[in-house]
Amino acid sequence: MGVKLERIVKTYYDNLEQGKITARKCKDCGAIEWPPLLACNTCGSTEMEWIEIEAKGKMLQFVMSSPITRRPEMEDIKPYVLAVVQIDEGPAVNAMVRGITRKNKKLIESKLPYPVHATIVPRDGYSTVIFDIDEVEE
Amino acid sequence: MDPKNNINQTTLHPYSRSVSIIGVGCTPFMYTLDNPETAGLTEGELFGYAALKAMEDAGVTPKDVEYYFHGQASPFNGSNYITPNLQVSEWFGMRGKGSIHHSEACCTGYLALEQAVNAVASGKYNVVLSGCVEMGDAIADIDKPAHFRKKFDDALFQESLKWIYDRAYTRAMMCGPNLHQDDGAAWYKQTYGLTDEEMDDTLLSMACNSRRSAAKNPLALARKTYEEMAREAGYENTLEFMKENFPKMTGNLRAPGLELKCDGAAAFIVCPTEMASQFTSKKPIEVLGIGNATREANQPHVELYGTLEATRQVYELTGVKPEEIDLLMTNDFFITSQLIAAECSGYLPKGEGWKYFIEGRTSYDGDKPINTNGGRCSFGHAHAASGVADIYEAVLQMRGEAGEHQINKLPKTTFIRGFGGAQNLAAIILRTKE
Repeated sequence: MGVKLERIVKTYYDNLEQGKITARKCKDCGAIEWPPLLACNTCGSTEMEWIEIEAKGKMLQFVMSSPITRRPEMEDIKPYVLAVVQIDEGPAVNAMVRGITRKNKKLIESKLPYPVHATIVPRDGYSTVIFDIDEVEE
Repeated sequence: MDPKNNINQTTLHPYSRSVSIIGVGCTPFMYTLDNPETAGLTEGELFGYAALKAMEDAGVTPKDVEYYFHGQASPFNGSNYITPNLQVSEWFGMRGKGSIHHSEACCTGYLALEQAVNAVASGKYNVVLSGCVEMGDAIADIDKPAHFRKKFDDALFQESLKWIYDRAYTRAMMCGPNLHQDDGAAWYKQTYGLTDEEMDDTLLSMACNSRRSAAKNPLALARKTYEEMAREAGYENTLEFMKENFPKMTGNLRAPGLELKCDGAAAFIVCPTEMASQFTSKKPIEVLGIGNATREANQPHVELYGTLEATRQVYELTGVKPEEIDLLMTNDFFITSQLIAAECSGYLPKGEGWKYFIEGRTSYDGDKPINTNGGRCSFGHAHAASGVADIYEAVLQMRGEAGEHQINKLPKTTFIRGFGGAQNLAAIILRTKE
């Protein structure tokens, strides 16, 4: 028992390669850390266990990409927005969300918080998690 | 706002003894390479000048100063140093005395005060120098002597910005480092129902107000007002001129709302308040308290929640009420931060603050002055040094020594909101000791 030295970052990315999004759940208070960390930020416990999560959630806020926020290395995933996403398991993060264009922006904005789901996308030598919006309802 | 976002809170304890600022010094903020008279200035000359001006102002000599803190946001990139406190240590008469370097990106200058006050409040030292320098526009030409510099171009700057962000997850998730420019404005619009046009007018008005302050400040980098530029271009309406000539660079910000990265240094001297009169006849500026918070850029609304927590701490410690604040200084490398800091600190009313900017009330001659030196978008942003430059400005204003940009009511209490490094937050309250 007690804190254990382990490769949390490597395990997370290895799991993504297997198509699994994983997090760490506090055995004491039940809070979930995603992306996974060593200790619980809610109660401070070091008793954490690995769990697989679905990472469906809600987009709470978004901004369109712009001249100084676009990056050449992100070309393959456009169009995207920069968003605040809260997943159903609890954690909220800043994350990329696909599926919003100039055309449907106002509609999506009017329906915030908008449902989204996680997608694992390949990068250069590793994979990461972004989100896609659920189907747009007119 | 979800209060769970500030689940880990700290209660501050009173300082073991009262500490005051008794001297300040600051260089002009400048593009050193663009002027034949300043091209080739080095870290030692800039830091040394600011340090010695602060000592002169405090009525102390290098022999009186017992220790110094050195801050620089990016010493390896800008100066090719990893122990930059040593590299300037010979330049201001303190050879051999102890020092330490610290680096918290754009919050460095505010935490320079944290470090110095703690060192004196603990009783270890009586007279401490704290200063910061940044060559934000003229970086080292590394195989040549220090006066050989080269322009820190935007491509290299953007590359270096990555170093602020976590490599475990944040960079890979690609959002936090790119969202922060717009997060405050997007949150504010959504929370208080502002239109895009209202936010645009607010941010441009902020830039106009700050530039009017900078126009009166001899140390400021950009001193031509937007009103003057508009008139010269044949426009009667300044905001119309700005909208037509400065396209949006982010979802909300145009160039007048983005920092002017430059070179500069600033420093101050602190001592126990009860000893101040031994050195100077000027009223000491007491540091009542400093709140701190740190939030990583993958977390939502870093600036907002971090500012709220740091602010909560310092109000709880000091018992000061928001209505007692006479002057607000804040890091505004994205000018939206003026609005976020003003409302989080209670200096402007929640959801209403944006109107004060549009009405021009936040310039040096308004009734709610903010960033009276001109702020990062007009005074200039020499990253680490800028926080100390804010402290320099606050002290000048509180003494009534700010000259042409002196605010109408002599401020007795100043709130300083530090922010930077994706992100460290600090909330500082200064009060003139009568």
